[in-house]
Amino acid sequence: MLQLFREISQNRELIWALALKDLRVRYKRSVLGFLWALLNPLFMMVILTVVFSVFMRLAIDHYAVFLLVAILPWTFFSQALSYSVESIVGNGELLKKLYIQKSVFPIAAVLANLINFLLSLIPLIFLLLVLRFPFYWTWLYLPFPLICLIAFTLGFGFFCAAINVFFRDVAHIVQIVLSGWFYCSPIIYSQDFIPLKYSFFYHLNPMVFILNGFRMSIYYGKLPTIQSAAMSLVCGLVFLVLGYLVFRRYQDSFVYYL
Amino acid sequence: MSLRGSVSRIRFDHVFQRFRVIDERPDTLREITARIFRRRSQFHLFEALKDLSFQVEDGELLGIVGRNGSGKSTTLKLIAQVYRPTTGKISANGRVAALIELGAGFHGDLTGRENIVINGLMLGLTRRQIRDCEKRIIEFAELDKFIDSPVKQYSSGMYMRLGFAIAVEVDPDILLIDEILAVGDAAFQRKCLDRIKDFQRRGKTILYVSHAMESVKKLCTRAILLHEGTLIANGSPDEVYERYNEILYKPVLKQ
Repeated sequence: MLQLFREISQNRELIWALALKDLRVRYKRSVLGFLWALLNPLFMMVILTVVFSVFMRLAIDHYAVFLLVAILPWTFFSQALSYSVESIVGNGELLKKLYIQKSVFPIAAVLANLINFLLSLIPLIFLLLVLRFPFYWTWLYLPFPLICLIAFTLGFGFFCAAINVFFRDVAHIVQIVLSGWFYCSPIIYSQDFIPLKYSFFYHLNPMVFILNGFRMSIYYGKLPTIQSAAMSLVCGLVFLVLGYLVFRRYQDSFVYYL
Repeated sequence: MSLRGSVSRIRFDHVFQRFRVIDERPDTLREITARIFRRRSQFHLFEALKDLSFQVEDGELLGIVGRNGSGKSTTLKLIAQVYRPTTGKISANGRVAALIELGAGFHGDLTGRENIVINGLMLGLTRRQIRDCEKRIIEFAELDKFIDSPVKQYSSGMYMRLGFAIAVEVDPDILLIDEILAVGDAAFQRKCLDRIKDFQRRGKTILYVSHAMESVKKLCTRAILLHEGTLIANGSPDEVYERYNEILYKPVLKQ
């Protein structure tokens, strides 16, 4: 764990440059450039809002907000994961020629998407203002679920990036798992919809706790229960440590399989 | 890292390097199913280096020659820590810069200037150092007119010039050069060779892999000859050159 922080601080300039490179390449040669990082989520949100407050009226108040506060962190998670799975294999040619700390690639992949996620909060705030949705003081709590989410994503990203070097199938499996995982997480529906008898299995999904933190503090204006908060922290840290250990264990053999 | 007086800059001790070589890729579903039943025969091991031992001292410019596949590049990559030796010990003291493939890691959509930053950071420079030497890099690469164009529009010569200009700014203790000067024109090649000699004059250690025997003879203080992963000659460039010629033409003479 300490080792991880040391690697990050030693390579912070490189990680930052790689993350910016990712974003820059994503928006390169488009007329609006970085504005797309704001426009993309904005349009998505507007579409969802229109659909769910005009066409499909659900029993949940302000369903659009309810949905967005979970879908934005989820999008960060799924995109960051898709990026980090490919991060080692995608930079294979480079790793065969230069000695670089290999962990910088998954970290930069997560960081690039984190920047995107934080930028997408700007249109979210804008939309809340337009909808006259109240801003609760519990916004202050947001850094906590965010840290848990980053740790969880990074850990999972390390794990998948490492395994993908040996079995390229992982990149495909991740995509399938992500689409199933989306429906198994409280994003389009509330946790209360889950029948009590399945509740135990449902709560085996760490994203349940993490997304709950986001939704509670923005949508409900309440703090999550201590258990839920603790679970999200534990899941985040456990996955980070495990994922990083797996990555470290195999990183020296990557180059022979690239 | 404190060094005892007698420790060599680079030292290889009975180094073996094995690679897995994939024999064939199953193309059809049928082949894949056939594979599953006969698991684990998809690759064989290839020994790129066999019991390689040598040392290099400060201020030496060591030429490494040998035919294709003799293990030259593998040797350099081991020093650069891209590979770990399968068995044996390698010590390389000090900062290593590898000119193994110039411009490895350049991103085509980014400009030359943006690539200088990323590439410099990957080679271990800090942001501040890069800012300080950016001008020198552009000047050395003779790219002032194109430095803000995306590098995918560069010619291979421009690409290589930029790569070389960045790499020499790293100011390493050990410089690894692998057959890279072939691309530039004669004038730029001379500039690079001057730079290399300059390194040597400052007491740095340089390993130089090349098929251009003339440049090895002209530049190097010593040379080693690798053949199928073993060291078969170690001495003055002229002696090694002769041995190399014997190997080169032996298979032809046999026929």
